[in-house]
Amino acid sequence: MALKAMIQDNTRCIGCRACMVACKAWNDLPGDTGSFFAGPGYQNPRDLDPHNYTVITFTYTDEGTKGRPDWVFGRLMCMHCLEPACASACPTTALRKTPDGPVVFDSWRCIGCRYCMQACPFVVPKFDYDRVVPAIHKCTFCADRIQAGRDPACAQVCPTGAITFGDREDMVQEARNRIATSPGTYVPHIYGLNEVGGTSVLHLSSVPFERLGYAANLPDKAPPTLTVKLLHFTPKIFTTVWVTMAVIAMVVRRRFRFWAHDEHSDEHSGDEHGSR
Amino acid sequence: MAVDERPGWARALWLLLWGLVVAAVITTIVRFATGIATIANVNQAYPWGWWVGFDMLTRIALGGVGFTMAAAGEIFDIKGFRPIVRAALLVGLLWYLTYAAVLMVELGRPWMIWQVFFSWAPTSAMYEVALCAVAYTTVLLLEFSPLVLTKLGWTTPVRRINAVYMFIVITGVALSSLHQSSLGTLLLLLPTKVDPLWHSELLPVFFLLSAIMAGPAVMLVEHTLATHFLKLQPRMDVLRALGRGLTVLVAVYLALRLGDVLYRGVGNLALSFGFEARWFWLEIVVGLVAPLALLLTPDIDQRKGRLGMAGALVVIGVLLNRLNAAVVTMKVHSWESYRPAITEVLISVGALAGMVIAYVYLVRWLPIHTEPPLAEEASIPAVAPARALS
Repeated sequence: MALKAMIQDNTRCIGCRACMVACKAWNDLPGDTGSFFAGPGYQNPRDLDPHNYTVITFTYTDEGTKGRPDWVFGRLMCMHCLEPACASACPTTALRKTPDGPVVFDSWRCIGCRYCMQACPFVVPKFDYDRVVPAIHKCTFCADRIQAGRDPACAQVCPTGAITFGDREDMVQEARNRIATSPGTYVPHIYGLNEVGGTSVLHLSSVPFERLGYAANLPDKAPPTLTVKLLHFTPKIFTTVWVTMAVIAMVVRRRFRFWAHDEHSDEHSGDEHGSR
Repeated sequence: MAVDERPGWARALWLLLWGLVVAAVITTIVRFATGIATIANVNQAYPWGWWVGFDMLTRIALGGVGFTMAAAGEIFDIKGFRPIVRAALLVGLLWYLTYAAVLMVELGRPWMIWQVFFSWAPTSAMYEVALCAVAYTTVLLLEFSPLVLTKLGWTTPVRRINAVYMFIVITGVALSSLHQSSLGTLLLLLPTKVDPLWHSELLPVFFLLSAIMAGPAVMLVEHTLATHFLKLQPRMDVLRALGRGLTVLVAVYLALRLGDVLYRGVGNLALSFGFEARWFWLEIVVGLVAPLALLLTPDIDQRKGRLGMAGALVVIGVLLNRLNAAVVTMKVHSWESYRPAITEVLISVGALAGMVIAYVYLVRWLPIHTEPPLAEEASIPAVAPARALS
């Protein structure tokens, strides 16, 4: 299957939160007793958590819609990075990127080291610290629905067409078209096109993204490019250090057979004061 | 036989150590019965906190004492370091074993830890740290076991280990170099969260260097304290050698650290004296400049206390460096913050107390500190010195 992606067009979002409800329904997530005003405006909850894989954010801004003060919306969810830092960080490969887009996880294999939470530039994976048997939780891009040839639950229910799902190439083109055809509506930035190496969720907005609380100033280079290259050298470093040390041991001892313990050099033997 | 001849303070300290261990064990039971949230403040934005900052990053760095001293004493065959290789191996082994113990509390799903050995995750620094740390702990056990086995009178395995002893030592050095630097790689993956004063492409090099630097520093502290409490004559030649090694390492590390900050163009951040900058300077001044100044005083070679103090400052500096990078200055959300819970720290402190207790017992039992007793104590029965603390 071709690489899939989703457009989250925040200018079309009316904050109805049908996507949040559909997400809970499809993923069998329990309901919460929260506060109606947990975040700005009617935003509830404040952030993603183990029971909420997506959250619509509310932001009041002076230059909201067409220059008038207004509430603008944004959406928190897993961005499904093309080169996910979380998957590169996972020591048990419980997290992995599938070829069709979703970053999926096998919570059974998780050891709970929480490096994925730390590695994620969007602070997405969540851990239920209050449970005796905890696990990592995050949006799955409805990988099971995509496998069955259907749209993710959130995209299916959105009543205003703010969420569009399809092949990533088409989605990038579609996002460019929207910005080009109505330049007054959008800031000229597709969030997720290049951020941390590109993501499978592309956000559009009428106000600069940092105003919506989106992580700003993200590098275009995927973070794993910093580390994977280094870790790739592991066997070479091991061999180099090993051989260097062996050569030093040989030179210092002035003999080729360096591997036995030098009893004579051991100042402890024959001097057993401290022991009893 | 059970006449307790220890001074009152030593008995109180001993009770306190056991009390801390018991408290940590109780906290651990609560953690497994009710979940991490009951005893720790780690949250959705700051998932690591004190446990990783101290128990993984700092504890492993200080545990590096085993590989640096084994390399200096056994591979490089430097005379000044040879008498303390056994003590260094013991300290290193105890740091690693207590790390493993705390890790089992800190991991969210420790019962799944075996999964690491059935995975292939070469892109994960955590995977490399996990595998190398396990392998290196095995190496430490092998390096240290001849002392125990000889004591038990099992000479055959000792002969087998001694026949390939250098292979074991060298493998330990290679494994340590890998996972000490991988701890830096661990933080390198977080360019958006680690403060620019700490996030550098050289992080793996810095972490390896500071772990090497921690070696002589920990041994200075260990040798000073051990000879003091066991009432033995300190080996001034050993302390001198450690001090000289530490001087060079601290100077090199300090120059590299400041050079890197300048080269990356974040010197203005350091001079801003904001929150992060103040922690940065605390780390630099307390952990590097102050010990370097101490070590460069002219009569340092005769000053046992001053050498020990320099070592302690470097140890504090390494602790500050790791905590600063991974906890103190890490910024994720403006509305969420993290402050360690007392019980979180208690787990670490309990493990440290357990380490000290194990150390005291093992030092009494095995020929690790073989320095002659202090002259003025010579009249006291031979059992007294090693029992000062226990």
